[in-house]
Amino acid sequence: MSEAPIHIQDVSRSFNGVAVIKDLSVSIKTGSIYGFLGRNGAGKTTTIRMLAGLTRPDQGTVRVSGSDPFLMGAEERQRLGYMSEKAMTMPFARVRTVLNLCRRLYPNWNPALADALIAKYGISPWKRLTLLSQGSQRIFSFILAIAPRPSVLLLDEPAANLDVVARREVLDDILELIRECGCTVLFSTHILSDVERVADEIGILANGKLRVSEPLDSLKDSIRQVRFFGFRGGAPSGDIPGSYRTIRSGDDITVTMRIDSGPSPEALAERWSCEHEARVLNLEDIFVELSRN
Amino acid sequence: MFFLDANSGIPLYVQLQQQLRQRILSGQLQHGAQLPSVRDLSEELHINPLTAAKVYQILEREGFVETRRGIGTYVSPQPPVLRMDARRQQLAPAVDQLVAGAVHLGVAEGEVQALISDKFRRLNRKPQVP
Repeated sequence: MSEAPIHIQDVSRSFNGVAVIKDLSVSIKTGSIYGFLGRNGAGKTTTIRMLAGLTRPDQGTVRVSGSDPFLMGAEERQRLGYMSEKAMTMPFARVRTVLNLCRRLYPNWNPALADALIAKYGISPWKRLTLLSQGSQRIFSFILAIAPRPSVLLLDEPAANLDVVARREVLDDILELIRECGCTVLFSTHILSDVERVADEIGILANGKLRVSEPLDSLKDSIRQVRFFGFRGGAPSGDIPGSYRTIRSGDDITVTMRIDSGPSPEALAERWSCEHEARVLNLEDIFVELSRN
Repeated sequence: MFFLDANSGIPLYVQLQQQLRQRILSGQLQHGAQLPSVRDLSEELHINPLTAAKVYQILEREGFVETRRGIGTYVSPQPPVLRMDARRQQLAPAVDQLVAGAVHLGVAEGEVQALISDKFRRLNRKPQVP
């Protein structure tokens, strides 16, 4: 799958001897919006910085549109949009100055789009960046990332510090970009309802490893929380193989498990001579279940 | 307008597919009527265009809609009547919930059946035979 616009294979990276990313492999197909989830410190920003060519992996391969982002020339880099989690460079420049600069830097820069977006979000072109509100600074970074109409877009916490309305608008702009030019988007976030609306694939990163990476629909269809109870011959001991998490309370065993592989809940209930009931989990539940240690 | 709950455990495509199918079956969407494009649907509902496209694909496979290349998506002139097993499948989650609730509350099977019969009587209609 070397033609995938975002491709990471067996990548590891540590900082000061602490492993942040361990044997990470992800492939994202063209036109996908990939929601990249993980708790604080899970390694999301490190992964995105490696894709943006700002951090080098210790081991493994990182490819964006088939090239090593660390070695990309100016022309290839133009096709890669990146919004960092941090505040922007050039804090004392005015909005208009930055836009004019970008216009000359990017041949594909769409000045009409950039102007329409700053007007839509109520950002004054004459303000200095440092005087914009936190939210407006995030939105301005976002505009700078999408106005060159990139083919791959990396967004690190695009929704942080935004109010609900602005967040919806940013998500709509991401969708518009996808509809218009079929680019590939990877965005990290803590706000799970955003992911539910716009992402078609998701990855959950925990302790530097990817717990799942698959279409959101299949994730919801195939993970269930199943409570086994009323054991007629005593509850089984030990961890339940293939489960994400097992909780025991009294004589009940509650298991977060996949129902699309391994033994089915019905088969397990029969094996253990007990009753069972299954619960559908929403993304927040799934995230919590899979991110716990 | 469709009502989608992004926080639900039910995937968005399933929610949208169920609502569209319901509207076609109930006649709210007339046979042969044109449906919004994938693009418009994605814009209106703030959802990924792939999700909208997937819903149309599923409904097309089931025979509820048909896509005319380059023109658009339409409700089929003759939407299928759902087979009995498909209807049962749609009712199954509600039945599961009802039975589990009855067991937890200690309501006997006969009483549950009486409640259901009573509800049918009040709706003044019998389940339709295909």
